[in-house]
Amino acid sequence: MIVRTLCGAVALVSWIGLWNVPAVAQPSEAAAPRDLKSIVDAQVLRVALTRFDLPSFHVRGPDGRLFGPEIEMAQQIGGALGVGVEFIDSAESFDTVVDYVAVGRADIGVSKLSQTYNRLKRVRFSEPYVTLRHALLFNRLAIARVAAGRPPAVVLQKYAGRLGVIGGSAYVDFASRNFPDATVVEARNWDTAIENLLSGNVDALYRDEFEIRRVLKNKPALNVQLGSAVIVDQNALLSVAICDTCSKLQQFINYHIGVTRGAFTLKKLLDSDLGKSAR
Amino acid sequence: MKAATAVGRDNSLKALSRSINRPAITIAAIVLALALGAMRLPFLEYLRPVGDFYIALLQICVLPFLLATIPLAVRSAMASGSAPGVLKSLLFWVLMTVVAVAAVSVTIPSLFFSYALPDEQMMNNIGALLGRSADSVDVEFAIDARHAAEIKGAAEGGIFALIPTNIFASLSSNDSVRVLVFAAIFGVGMVLTERESGQSIFEALRHIQAVCVLIFDWFSLLVPIGIVALVAPQVARLGPDAFTALTFFAYPLLATGAVLLLAAPLFCAFALGASPGSVFGALLKPVMLGASTRNSLVCVPLALETLKNDLKVKDEPCDLYIPIGIATIRFGTILYFVIATLFMGTLMGRQFNVIDLGLLAVFSVGASFATIGLSGIAALAPLAIVLRPFGLSYEVAVPLMIIIDPLAEMVRTMLNVAINCMIPSLAGGRAAMPTTQSAQ
Repeated sequence: MIVRTLCGAVALVSWIGLWNVPAVAQPSEAAAPRDLKSIVDAQVLRVALTRFDLPSFHVRGPDGRLFGPEIEMAQQIGGALGVGVEFIDSAESFDTVVDYVAVGRADIGVSKLSQTYNRLKRVRFSEPYVTLRHALLFNRLAIARVAAGRPPAVVLQKYAGRLGVIGGSAYVDFASRNFPDATVVEARNWDTAIENLLSGNVDALYRDEFEIRRVLKNKPALNVQLGSAVIVDQNALLSVAICDTCSKLQQFINYHIGVTRGAFTLKKLLDSDLGKSAR
Repeated sequence: MKAATAVGRDNSLKALSRSINRPAITIAAIVLALALGAMRLPFLEYLRPVGDFYIALLQICVLPFLLATIPLAVRSAMASGSAPGVLKSLLFWVLMTVVAVAAVSVTIPSLFFSYALPDEQMMNNIGALLGRSADSVDVEFAIDARHAAEIKGAAEGGIFALIPTNIFASLSSNDSVRVLVFAAIFGVGMVLTERESGQSIFEALRHIQAVCVLIFDWFSLLVPIGIVALVAPQVARLGPDAFTALTFFAYPLLATGAVLLLAAPLFCAFALGASPGSVFGALLKPVMLGASTRNSLVCVPLALETLKNDLKVKDEPCDLYIPIGIATIRFGTILYFVIATLFMGTLMGRQFNVIDLGLLAVFSVGASFATIGLSGIAALAPLAIVLRPFGLSYEVAVPLMIIIDPLAEMVRTMLNVAINCMIPSLAGGRAAMPTTQSAQ
């Protein structure tokens, strides 16, 4: 009797728990997929964002207000649609932004999102609004030691050491694909990843050219200890994540990106002071 | 009568050249050049073509002079039968000097770097220079091997850089090292065939040598102008940013360089039994010509003239050693490679123990020979041979060394000339009779 009561209690708790799990964790609970017409009817474009700032892309002001080129792009798309924009800025990782779009909690997601095979299985992506080359930030001494007189590129090309990436980012996928011999170490965020590199927990970090160069630009002294390497045949296509069934919305956003081409360039991003003090 | 007039004109030209190239005037020209360079006046860039023109003039007679001088020196040594003794003595002093220079080069800078550490500001400035120089990306590579850029091998070097496979190509491309090797081999051959047939062109070579010396005397009248035109723009190229980065590198370079530059005339004076002041004053001419032209070979005729005529060093060791020694044994480069490695090690937090320092000295001597035939920035490439065994990045060092090079190249050349001038003095000593060669 006691056992049956306990089982019943466990089942009840489990049922209540499952009922309250956020939409991200239960795709079966997703809202019905929408497209351009339903968004216009609802008079709101829901835009998912990371809850952390992405300097030069989107940041929060002292009053909590969001601004930056990605925010402006979302507002321009909303303006072109004739609807308001609601920012859902609670995603804990880049992948979570994609999750929000995939399960219908948001119509689009913008947070410096790279297209990956895994993500493309779940959402659509717009044309890239900026393309950045993949890059590594590496400990010069550690790589020179392994290189044993050869150029560093030889070691980096077949890198087999500890490679730091941000957990829940596209670079987890990229790292396992492009550096199969490396031990991938996922960090909570970019600052932690850099700390890992400086403390010797990893010998290289993997991200895009903008972020790598930004680290060295903001703290020039690191140029002595750390080197930067660009992977010339690997590009991060930064695009807007769009719900999987929103083909018309995808076409609309592609058109917008086409007519505003040049809003994002590597030089503009590197020269931007947006969020510099926040990081 | 006409001959007497010509000799008188020649002597008056020599007297004028000596008067213009007095140590006081040379030092005044250097001080003026440094002062103008430090002021970084815009018009200094207009002096650069004047300096380049001056170097071009000096280079006119370098290769013919070497082609004439080396066979004559070989003949002189072989004819007198003293060649083995002279060569043995030269070899002994070369080895001793290389060991001594390597030891000093390692000791003084390592003491400096063990006490001086770069502060945050300096690291920021050096980092900023690095970021800018490397255009913000150090390495580019492709994951897919089909897209990978071909990794270039090291430039042709080693023993092959010495063999004059085509002497005419070497002459036309100003490849002085191969010309030297050719002249030495050809000189031996000429002596042996002269013994067999009794015929030779040595008198003609002596005439060519005299012509070269005369031409060089003409251009020597322009030495003070050349010093100002070459040194001032070079100093002006060192901007304030470079100075910030330089301090940490320049102090040990200048301090150790000064020790070696003072030691060379002192040892010379000791070997020749002359006063250190007079030796210092005499050596100042070729050394400062080296500083201004940053080209050791250009200094060969003046170095020979100074050693043989002013300091009365025996002809044989001078003629045999100076052209080959100045072209091949680069004492300044040994010091430079040692300091560059210790500098990079300090920046990257690498410690050097006694064994490391010994290896550093050996690698630096070896790498200095790999610079034979190279000049300017190209001569930095063998630095990789020294840096990489210590796990230091050549790719980081190069942009910094390029910034520092305007100063470092001057110091390197001065040391090459000064220390190489010391060796024949130690090996041969003072000549018993005053030389008359220059008057022939």
